[in-house]
Amino acid sequence: MKYLTHSSHSIMIDKELCTGCVVCTLACPVQAIRVRDGKAEVNKSELCIDCGECLRVCPEQAVKSMTLHAEDLTGYKVLVALPSPALYAQFGDLYTPNDILLALRKIGFHKVCDLALNCEMVLIAIGEYLRSHTAVRPMLSNFCPAVTRLILKNYPKLIDHIIPIETPREIAADQMRRKIMRERGIESGEIGVFHITPCPAKMISITDPVGVEKSNLDGAIAIRDLYVRLRKALKEIEDDWILQKSSGVGISWATGQASMRGLPSMTSLSVTGVGDVIQILDDVEAEHLGDVDYLELSICPGGCVGGPLVVQNKHVAASHIANLVEQYGVRSRVDPRKIERQLEQTYLLDQKKFLPQEPEPLDTDLTRALEKMAKIEEYRSLLPGRQCGACGAPSCEALAEDIVKGEAHLSDCIFERIKELEHALEGDRGGVESGDPE
Amino acid sequence: MFKKVFRVEGGNFQKAGSVSKQIKKILKQLNLDGELIWRAMIIAYEAEINAVLYAHECQVSLEITAEKIYMRFKDKGPGIPDISLAMTEGYSTATRAMRERGFGAGLGLPNIRKTSDHFEITSTVGVGTTLDIDLFLN
Ligand SMILES: Nc1ncnc2c1ncn2[C@@H]1O[C@H](COP(=O)(O)OP(=O)(O)OP(=O)(O)O)[C@@H](O)[C@H]1O
Ligand code: SF4
Ligand SMILES: [Mg+2]
Repeated sequence: MKYLTHSSHSIMIDKELCTGCVVCTLACPVQAIRVRDGKAEVNKSELCIDCGECLRVCPEQAVKSMTLHAEDLTGYKVLVALPSPALYAQFGDLYTPNDILLALRKIGFHKVCDLALNCEMVLIAIGEYLRSHTAVRPMLSNFCPAVTRLILKNYPKLIDHIIPIETPREIAADQMRRKIMRERGIESGEIGVFHITPCPAKMISITDPVGVEKSNLDGAIAIRDLYVRLRKALKEIEDDWILQKSSGVGISWATGQASMRGLPSMTSLSVTGVGDVIQILDDVEAEHLGDVDYLELSICPGGCVGGPLVVQNKHVAASHIANLVEQYGVRSRVDPRKIERQLEQTYLLDQKKFLPQEPEPLDTDLTRALEKMAKIEEYRSLLPGRQCGACGAPSCEALAEDIVKGEAHLSDCIFERIKELEHALEGDRGGVESGDPE
Repeated sequence: MFKKVFRVEGGNFQKAGSVSKQIKKILKQLNLDGELIWRAMIIAYEAEINAVLYAHECQVSLEITAEKIYMRFKDKGPGIPDISLAMTEGYSTATRAMRERGFGAGLGLPNIRKTSDHFEITSTVGVGTTLDIDLFLN
């Protein structure tokens, strides 16, 4: 088998390309990766939050995204594209969002949807929800699948804080699908709805969604995998249809700052990057974050424009987004009354039932768990504390844990091995000296 | 019994919260009740932040048995001249800079006392402050 597949995760590691260098192991924010037998694997699969950090840092490009490719889109009568607003930032100031939507049609999507507009709808719904539900604060955004997974795994206490408004992509997929079924009289299965994504996490939110049976989407395609074809198509656009209906509010979703513009009467914070997200969730959990209504959380630094599957540098992309916001203004065309009605009909409400996904404890029996914990401490104090990763674990402490769990050995530590060798050598020398009286 | 000692460096905001995080991880691995873990974490977090804000350094001892979680925060620092005043909700000597970072509501110590099953505080001006905290497992 060429790939080590992790069916419920958004990445896989190509064993042939992996050199076992531990860069991903050390970068993984939840310590889910180990190098075993010279190859990296998402060994603690239950810890992985699909943030894509490993994909970002791998120097050999051995970490592959499980997103789909153009060849995978067969067997559908109608192909629908739902592009992340981050796509609008990939081609410089020369092309408008409308051009990009037209280019998507040109490369073969029969229908394209300006997802940024759905972002605006969702923001209004979030504002409405926050106004009418004041008991739990701060509420946490749910659009980034990696953030949601992080909360379920590491902050189960905060599950009630996840905003129960469906994500823009799920709403858009549902609306497009119904509309096409009605207009064309075809079955749902004949329509393929695809997210054009900056990150592998979206793929897993479609193939293995949390809290719900099935996603309304059929898959996700990486921005970088469509980039060349889109770039070419952009030069050949003849149509002049207006497909873009979004304003700067929805477009700024791409930098994780839409709530600042779309929720003017709320106190919201935009927090991006896995380290900062973890830090703020710690603060929320410790009840040490002042009066904040809403946290807009993106695992990627700088928001979705910083996703691992984009092409444009995230700072350049952010400046393009800022220009677009200026150009299209912050007055949304979405009618708030319509959103209120939809909320009343519970249409925009997220029906997901989230359950904690906490990692397995050391032992379900407390006495045994305490013994194991003491053992971990013992091993940790034996290890040199250099945190070098050469053992294949991300820290000395992690190796100590792995040893106690029976997954690794003390001799996996390179310094332990050196000690053993020195002992052996001394032993040899000793032997030689005593055997050689000279 | 499991025992572990941590060190908190006074004034190091970059690291503030890291000891309570490690404590939380240990308690989770031991499969303790979620509510209990959260209480221990709130206590550890408040005590750790106080050490960062007010003390020079602090030694944190964690002991877990089948009966209880015991935590001791023993710091070297200015000490607290009037303990009952410091234990009053809303009393704080936090500086403006500390308040700007979101600390200084004067709720930390009262919260620690409220959240723990057994709480003791001793302090000597010019030497340091010690908190002893028990949380019972049942
Ligand atoms: N370890 C300590 N060493 C010296 N003084 C302390 C220590 N812990 C608390 N104090 C004093 O007691 C006061 C009250 O502490 P408490 O934790 O209740 O509130 P705070 O730290 O001021 O604000 P908050 O905890 O709500 O952010 C502090 O302002 C400080 O003067
Ligand atoms: S921030 Fe955006 S691009 Fe990054 S993982 Fe989350 S949803 Fe994907
Ligand atoms: Mg305090």
